[in-house]
Amino acid sequence: MTAPATNLQKTDAPVVASVRDLRVHFKSKAGIVHAVDGVDFDVRDGETLGLVGETGCGKSVTARSFLRLVPMPPGIPVSGSIMFHPRQRCTACDGAGCVACDHTGRVVSTCPACSGTGCSTCEQTGAETLDLLTIPERDLRSIRGNRIAMIFQDPGKALNPALSIRKQVAEVFYAHRSDELLASAGIDPSSHSLPTGLLRRRATQQSRTLENVLLSLPPLRSRRSAITAAADDRVAAALAETQIPNPRAVMDRYPHELSGGMKQRVMIALALACDPDLLIADEPTTALDVTVQARIIELIKELQQRHKTAVVYISHDLSLVRRVADRTAVMYAGRIVEVGDSEQIFHEPEHPYTRGLIDAIPGAHHERGRLAAIEGTVPELIDPDPSCRFAGRCDFAAEVCWTRDPALEPVGDRQVACFIHHPPEHGEAPTFDRTAR
Amino acid sequence: MTAATDQRTVLAVRDLKKHFPIKDGALQRVVGQVRAVDGVSFDLLRGETLGLVGESGCGKTTLGRVLAGLEKPTSGGVYFDLSEQQRTELDQALRAGQGEDLAQLEAAHRVDRLDATNWRRFRRNTQMVFQDSFSSLNPRHLVSDIVGRPLRVYKEASGSALTERVVGLLEQVGLGRQHLYRYPHQFSGGQRQRISIARALALDPELVILDEPTSALDVSVQAQILNLLHELQQNRGFTFLFITHDLSVVRHMADRIAVMYLGRIAESGETTGLFDDPIHPYTEALLRANPDLTGDDEGFRGLEGTVPDPARPPQGCRFHTRCEYATPDCGWEIDDVVLQLEDTPALFDKLVGVERRSPFDADLEFVDASAAAALETALHGDEVPSSMKAAIEQVSVGAQTVSIKFREVNEVLLTPRGNDRLAACVLDALPSRD
Ligand SMILES: Nc1ncnc2c1ncn2[C@@H]1O[C@H](COP(=O)(O)OP(=O)(O)OP(=O)(O)O)[C@@H](O)[C@H]1O
Ligand SMILES: Nc1ncnc2c1ncn2[C@@H]1O[C@H](COP(=O)(O)OP(=O)(O)O)[C@@H](O)[C@H]1O
Ligand code: SF4
Ligand code: SF4
Ligand SMILES: [Mg+2]
Ligand SMILES: [Mg+2]
Ligand SMILES: [Zn+2]
Ligand SMILES: [Zn+2]
Repeated sequence: MTAPATNLQKTDAPVVASVRDLRVHFKSKAGIVHAVDGVDFDVRDGETLGLVGETGCGKSVTARSFLRLVPMPPGIPVSGSIMFHPRQRCTACDGAGCVACDHTGRVVSTCPACSGTGCSTCEQTGAETLDLLTIPERDLRSIRGNRIAMIFQDPGKALNPALSIRKQVAEVFYAHRSDELLASAGIDPSSHSLPTGLLRRRATQQSRTLENVLLSLPPLRSRRSAITAAADDRVAAALAETQIPNPRAVMDRYPHELSGGMKQRVMIALALACDPDLLIADEPTTALDVTVQARIIELIKELQQRHKTAVVYISHDLSLVRRVADRTAVMYAGRIVEVGDSEQIFHEPEHPYTRGLIDAIPGAHHERGRLAAIEGTVPELIDPDPSCRFAGRCDFAAEVCWTRDPALEPVGDRQVACFIHHPPEHGEAPTFDRTAR
Repeated sequence: MTAATDQRTVLAVRDLKKHFPIKDGALQRVVGQVRAVDGVSFDLLRGETLGLVGESGCGKTTLGRVLAGLEKPTSGGVYFDLSEQQRTELDQALRAGQGEDLAQLEAAHRVDRLDATNWRRFRRNTQMVFQDSFSSLNPRHLVSDIVGRPLRVYKEASGSALTERVVGLLEQVGLGRQHLYRYPHQFSGGQRQRISIARALALDPELVILDEPTSALDVSVQAQILNLLHELQQNRGFTFLFITHDLSVVRHMADRIAVMYLGRIAESGETTGLFDDPIHPYTEALLRANPDLTGDDEGFRGLEGTVPDPARPPQGCRFHTRCEYATPDCGWEIDDVVLQLEDTPALFDKLVGVERRSPFDADLEFVDASAAAALETALHGDEVPSSMKAAIEQVSVGAQTVSIKFREVNEVLLTPRGNDRLAACVLDALPSRD
């Protein structure tokens, strides 16, 4: 576990993204599937937030919503916001870390509408605030892979089989770091001359055939290869960061020539290439062997510490999330049921579902045949009535659980959505002392 | 052991190999062999659960399929249902080589030599449950047909008696009559796995081979299935071979564990002892990478490198390419030099050919003398593990070639380590950390 000191720091850290009342439904033949149905959580600067829950409880849909990657239709954006506060390099220390930036090397970008004094766009915070669910597609493109990056479960599918690793990683730099590439090639990015324009288009990989011909002629050719060389250097450095042995050789390989663990390293290199503020990792090690999984996790942790990136780590594996996450959010049937410090949650789970999940993991203390299974399965999320979604499987469910939605409310340092912890105004509250069956 | 009433050996596995030919080109010539299972021996005693663990591709499923009789072994033997005395006789006969005794034992017990009657008896007594219940249950058949099929094939029941038997089986796995006339896709993953188990139990087999039976399930449902399997074993005395990559699951379920690496068993022994006090470095590596709910972060660590190509398993100890404790006696060979070269493209590009006299002794030819000299220097560099350096008996640099000769070693075999433990490692015990 992370030392308590850093945990405290991270709990106080400013929020990078806050998800509020996120609802994403899907049209299906049987009715409307309430896949994500009122999700609230914050991600803080430099922390790892674990998102756990059983298959189909809405983890991936939540994750994909950050970058609007949920296909619509069949998806229906019902409600909610994901407020994202981009960071910028701390000018006081130039990213090295100082008191002003709380040793993260980056500070909040100021709201362009009010220059930091506070206005309605930034909800009076003075920080640049973008609602990822509503900003124009063009703005989102400049954030995707740049300020927010994502890694998926299957690295094989996420990589393009027809392109070399070099091309795929270089693309990120061409898309988001063209000015730096031009500068490395000795070209003033702000100049408006025709050659610069051509090279700029080359640097953003928008060149057309004719332009490519022009670029291959002597005066521009050397500049063009300088850009390519600058990109190559960055690709090699990005791969080297993920401890890929001999990155220059790997650059020329194609995805099918690499093992699963290697491919996932390439994905991580791609994701971290532009030093994002937020990394969303959706079951990044589920397809890998435990031995490789442990290496990838060490790597993500180490890179996170160096880059001070906030990470949302999604997994169905609780033991793993315990290893990775500073805070953990437990999801069930489209909602967050408990969120708080990982150490606390794994040590003393408060929500009956969290308790059930933890008890179901075979441990040394379990007698064989006596695992605490949660009976039943995740309920169908088609047009659900108001009720606790867990009532059908909960040992403690009382009548009120079947008729009203428990809200996510504070319990100590955590938040829990259960009537045991927040008795309803009317009706008898459930308690841990009384089992329903 | 939980319910071992006598010491009957359900399966005795002796030097079992299963190789798959690698075919290439238009003529489909055989260019090599994938040595998926490459010399495995163990006993499976009645009523016990043996756990089989290891990384992806190490041969667990292949071994399971051969044991279930779904695939013919390339060599070696699987012997079914031996008394303690027969087992002793078998090992004596195998040591003595071909003879009257061996031929007699093989005719009655060796799975690939059984006559029709004994084969039938073996097949109905050995059932397999697969990881992927989607592809192992025919989507066009009703549950009643799926679970009832073994009973029909073996003419155990028909008509309404068959239906009642199926209902009984479904009830044993927590389903019921209402599920008889549904298709597999109408069930959840956990329920489909219950159907697979019901089908496997239909003929009341002696041995059930479970290949990752819960890997596709959520923990809450996994717990249901694990409880169910235990209950069934208690009531009906099944013997389980439990294949999984999940160490927490196998520790919970197995009486004994065999750790597999690249087609062979690296270590085997009683579960608690193996977890508390592993002897083989690979077992230790697996345990350290297992993210359980109790350990601290100190010990949580991964393993560098990947599993080598099973078509070219390393010499000596197969784990030497990744082992942090490797000694000069662990099987360092020419392939390890080539592997190092691959990580140095400047040099690797200048390698013209490798003339092997043996896996340990070869001439590496380069385009020029400077490349050859560079290799010799590199062999003394920090990139090369010190145990590998120490295993080099001879290096000589010619005009454009480097001749390298490594210490020749035999394959590292499983040896007894007391308390029912076997390990294949040159070390007596794990070096202590710190
Ligand atoms: N029919 C086949 N033809 C050729 N090679 C095969 C065949 N079946 C398996 N192999 C190879 O044999 C080796 C062992 O495969 P196997 O499926 O037994 O591994 P496993 O331990 O079950 O792995 P996993 O944990 O991924 O299920 C692998 O290298 C595999 O590619
Ligand atoms: N593209 C889609 N079309 C229809 N339904 C979907 C789609 N993506 C997800 N869902 C549904 O949304 C729910 C949540 O899915 P998901 O977020 O993928 O779960 P998980 O927690 O396993 O990541 C599931 O019921 C799933 O079937
Ligand atoms: S006690 Fe009621 S509110 Fe709490 S988890 Fe159980 S069913 Fe839900
Ligand atoms: S024999 Fe033992 S020490 Fe040597 S490589 Fe194998 S596991 Fe490591
Ligand atoms: Mg998912
Ligand atoms: Mg397998
Ligand atoms: Zn600073
Ligand atoms: Zn503002």
